Amino acid sequence: MIRMLLRVLGHEYAPPMRRTVALMTATAVAEGLSYALLVPVLRALFGGGPADAWPWLAGFGGAVAVYALLRYLSDLSGFRVGTTLLRGVYHRFGDHLARLPLGWFTARRVGEVSVLASEGVLQAMGVAAHLLAPFISACVTPLTIVVVMLAFNWQMGLAALVAVPVVAAIQIWTGRSTAATDAERSERGDEATGRVIEYLQAQPVLRAGGRSGEHFRLLDDALSGLQRAARRSLRSALPGAVGLTLTVQAMFTALLALGAYLALGGNIGAPEVLAILVLAARCADPLLSLSDIGGKVRSARFDLARLDAVVRTEPLPQAREPIQPVRHDLEFEAVTFRQTGHTLIDDLSLSVPEGRRLAVVGPSGAGKSTLLQLLARFYDVDAGVVRVGGVDVRAIDTEVLMARIAIVFQDVYLFDGTIEENVRLGRPGAGEAEVRAAAAAARLDEVIERLPGGWAAKVGEGGALLSGGERQRVSIARALLKDAPIVLLDEVTSALDPVNEAAVHEGIDRLMAGRTVVMVAHRLRTVQRADHIVFLDGGRIAEEGSHDELLRRSGRYAGFWNLSLAPAAGEGH
Amino acid sequence: MSAVTATGLTAEAREPAAPPQSLGDLLRPYGWSFATVVILQVIGSVAGLAPLLAVVELGRTLLSPGPADAGRVWTVVLAGAAGLFVRLLFTVASSGIGHLLDARVELSLRRHLAARLGRVPIGWFSRRRTGELAKVVGPDVSAVHPLIAHFPGEFVSAFVVPLVSLIYLFTVDWRLTLITMIPVLLAVALVPLMMTPSRRREQEALDEGMGRISNAAVEFVQGISVIKAFGGGERAHRSFRTATDDFADTMLRWVRGLSGIAAGMQLALSPPFVLLVVLAGGTVLITDGSLAAADLLPFLLLGLGLTAPVAALGHGFDDLQAARRAVGRIREVLGVRSLPEPRRPAAPQGHRVELRGVRFGYEPGHEVLRGIDLVLEPGTVTAIVGPSGSGKSTLVQLLPRFFDPDHGSVVLGGVDLREVGDQELYRTVSFVFQDVRLLRASVADNIALAVPRAGREEVIRVARLVNLHDRILELPRGYETVIGEDVKLSGGEAQRISIARALLAATPVLVLDEATAFADPQTEQAVRAALATLAGDRTVLVIAHRLETIADADTVVVLEDGAIVEQGDPAELLAQDGRFAALWRSHRSAITDETRGGLPQGDELR
Repeated sequence: MIRMLLRVLGHEYAPPMRRTVALMTATAVAEGLSYALLVPVLRALFGGGPADAWPWLAGFGGAVAVYALLRYLSDLSGFRVGTTLLRGVYHRFGDHLARLPLGWFTARRVGEVSVLASEGVLQAMGVAAHLLAPFISACVTPLTIVVVMLAFNWQMGLAALVAVPVVAAIQIWTGRSTAATDAERSERGDEATGRVIEYLQAQPVLRAGGRSGEHFRLLDDALSGLQRAARRSLRSALPGAVGLTLTVQAMFTALLALGAYLALGGNIGAPEVLAILVLAARCADPLLSLSDIGGKVRSARFDLARLDAVVRTEPLPQAREPIQPVRHDLEFEAVTFRQTGHTLIDDLSLSVPEGRRLAVVGPSGAGKSTLLQLLARFYDVDAGVVRVGGVDVRAIDTEVLMARIAIVFQDVYLFDGTIEENVRLGRPGAGEAEVRAAAAAARLDEVIERLPGGWAAKVGEGGALLSGGERQRVSIARALLKDAPIVLLDEVTSALDPVNEAAVHEGIDRLMAGRTVVMVAHRLRTVQRADHIVFLDGGRIAEEGSHDELLRRSGRYAGFWNLSLAPAAGEGH
Repeated sequence: MSAVTATGLTAEAREPAAPPQSLGDLLRPYGWSFATVVILQVIGSVAGLAPLLAVVELGRTLLSPGPADAGRVWTVVLAGAAGLFVRLLFTVASSGIGHLLDARVELSLRRHLAARLGRVPIGWFSRRRTGELAKVVGPDVSAVHPLIAHFPGEFVSAFVVPLVSLIYLFTVDWRLTLITMIPVLLAVALVPLMMTPSRRREQEALDEGMGRISNAAVEFVQGISVIKAFGGGERAHRSFRTATDDFADTMLRWVRGLSGIAAGMQLALSPPFVLLVVLAGGTVLITDGSLAAADLLPFLLLGLGLTAPVAALGHGFDDLQAARRAVGRIREVLGVRSLPEPRRPAAPQGHRVELRGVRFGYEPGHEVLRGIDLVLEPGTVTAIVGPSGSGKSTLVQLLPRFFDPDHGSVVLGGVDLREVGDQELYRTVSFVFQDVRLLRASVADNIALAVPRAGREEVIRVARLVNLHDRILELPRGYETVIGEDVKLSGGEAQRISIARALLAATPVLVLDEATAFADPQTEQAVRAALATLAGDRTVLVIAHRLETIADADTVVVLEDGAIVEQGDPAELLAQDGRFAALWRSHRSAITDETRGGLPQGDELR
């Protein structure tokens, strides 16, 4: 458990954590040992010489003072460590997420990450701040008390000792039997969270489809699944809780009976028996709380395991001795790339000389966008090599690679902030004039003029407050600002209205000037700006050449071209 | 009379979320279960005092002068054992029922929240963030857990048991009882320090911070490709970093302010300290002869239990506070007014759509639509053109009633949309969005979204119409392939699914927003053909981006800055040489630039 915590945190947190655990253990032992002094105190009080109690009581007072100091220090240390860890875990988690390959981020992950980032991390940190101390105390203090009891009366001490292995066994067994149901429960929780997010974001579609509210079966299934999982996990935890309570109560009953028997037989003085029974009560209380604390620790451990799993997911491997590419030509050599058993790119080779423009054309699902993503190393290929400036992208430092590439995506995602923040993402250090120039080149300036807040206008989550065309322009301005030698365009002008399409094309022209460009185009009209055209189908190159060559060949490209020129021909108007 | 009542009841049963409901209303059906949980727990906990009292009685018997009464000793032991058994039985039953109840209540709360969120105006969402709302339905409902599963039983018994103990102890010796209460009073004295306004502010800040983290996480995952493209570990996921750092800072402040007091409180309530106080007081009283030695025992055993309420307050207090705040947020969502449903839904006659003097703004003082008068005749295609931000998307969203206009009305078949029932509206109007949202469900389910009962043949028919059938068959599990899990569809494919949805729904009114933007030429061709066959008697409103669409429309509407500036037959408008003609020419020249004259001949419209 602690080991896993440290793995999630990174080992620089090990020493303070170890110190805290040591402090908490010492506190628990001190508590147990201090009770040893109760026996002589009570012996004096019950035995008829109450004045003799004072020195022992003073001793007990001293022991309590030691305990108090230790406890105060360990509580503070627990709080401190917990909060320091909180920041550490968040940083590690966030940094690691940013390094994971894009393939890891499936639709399901939205729920998982959002749960982990909010509840998960907090729960896991609660271990250090709130759970560790009671847990250690509930385990160590009763053990110490049993030792003390053994020292005073071996029969009663032995009776108490019998319970120790049983309690330990029950704890371990409960841990095992609940692990599966806890896992299921949390999986259901993620599923439900993911469905809720989907449900909220798809509201317009769902309503237009008359599927909102209780009509949306997927969400309701996920919610009832969560309830069923909660029941199952309750059922699997119940035997452990009952078993523990039963054992502890049986122990107490046995001590009560044994004490009565020994006292009646005159083997032991009544004061000793009573003192030991007081100790037994001190022993039983923390043990009974163990099932409660144990449950909390288990669920925290579970959250921790999930954090651990994320942190241990391998990011794309980084080159040990990264090579800096000096040129900016691009090359695919016999590249094959598969995803979920589907071959997206199939033994594909092509090259783009520095400063030239390649257009990628083909039916949707042909692997056009994937080609761009492989260039930017969002994924690693399954076979073959992708090279930038003659260097395998896997041998280039990610930051260096990203610094050379500007991408304009098909589905533009903007971060919830101002327009300016989103543009500046391209190059955070850019000067005021550069930002304005990029905006003007992308015709973003007229959008900004129109919006109520101007540059400070909020774009909403994902850019929802802007229209598709406006979002696209922000993303072009961002790429212009970045000023990278390689430009990847993924159907840039698709969402622009006719008037501004022409204007944005000016911006795109500026963006492309003197750079190595790969553009994916559904609209063939943009394709003609390319030096070379590749027609992709099923992850393979079906045809390639210049626009005129391909037209002369009268193949698939020519077919596409003709279709796009006579779009209304088949409508029978 | 009775018939009226009966129908009223069934209507209510069918739409449980129609009027905003309070949390109390939702919990009322579980009243008896809650009562059972409390009663069982109280009996169990009070029975738990029996073994401690048994030790006390044992002490009295053993310490009493003369030989011990063996019969009495064994009776006491048996009574103690019986008490333990009762405690085990009742507390287990109470906690089991409590947790099952909790699972049921959580489900019901979540269902009500979902139902409510499914009815609030779409506009309400644009001011909320998904992460925060998802938190209300998920973690916030879970945060109510202690309130339901623990509070009734454990909290009540945490007060009842000490109260019983206290009364008993007073009957034994009132002076020692008061002394025993010293640690409790010390701890209680510290409580106000934990609840200062600044502590409370920090608590609220923590909750808000958590909401921000949740939003940042959603944004993080959904914007990951942008994060990757713009690289740079530190700054790229800045908003996540900022949200978590702020949270950690607040947490640190809160803990710093609280940890000393909390540790002090824990100390005051700790068993060694309580025992020390009791023993010191007891020793004084026993030495001066005013207390029988055996009477010290109950204080040693029961005295510790007096700390329970304060400990429960301290321990469960955070949880309870969190639960209370969560309940506040849940209540807020449950209380949101939905778009008013008509009392007596009217049936539209035909499907002519009219916009009469429609004005609309997302925020007051910033009108997006400024007086729109427009008639969409059945059997015609109306194309809306205009620069981005001119209000096109907003205008078309009024048709499926995502918003109600601020002034004027949208009239369908002679009936104001506000008078048309939801189901009737959905049967009449379908919509293809610019932002395609696919659900994490099978391809078939995604296509049949609006027509859940559609047969497979029908789904295949529309998939063929949008040129998607062959591609779907190539997917790992064909029509059963789960989108977003088994496969990620490209933009064009997603677009075609959304068009297939609309084709399957085959409603008399169809609204298209940049529908074919992402499609490749083949798809675009197929889609246009499909829409053409579909048109017939339909009322079609399309936000047009293509010259071809515009040219084929029966009516073109030019929108600028929220108002209609030109409207009419495209060819006539072109002849008038106004705004539309200018639009047309600028687009035309953009294309001619690109194609170096490769376009179909001429400037005139077909």
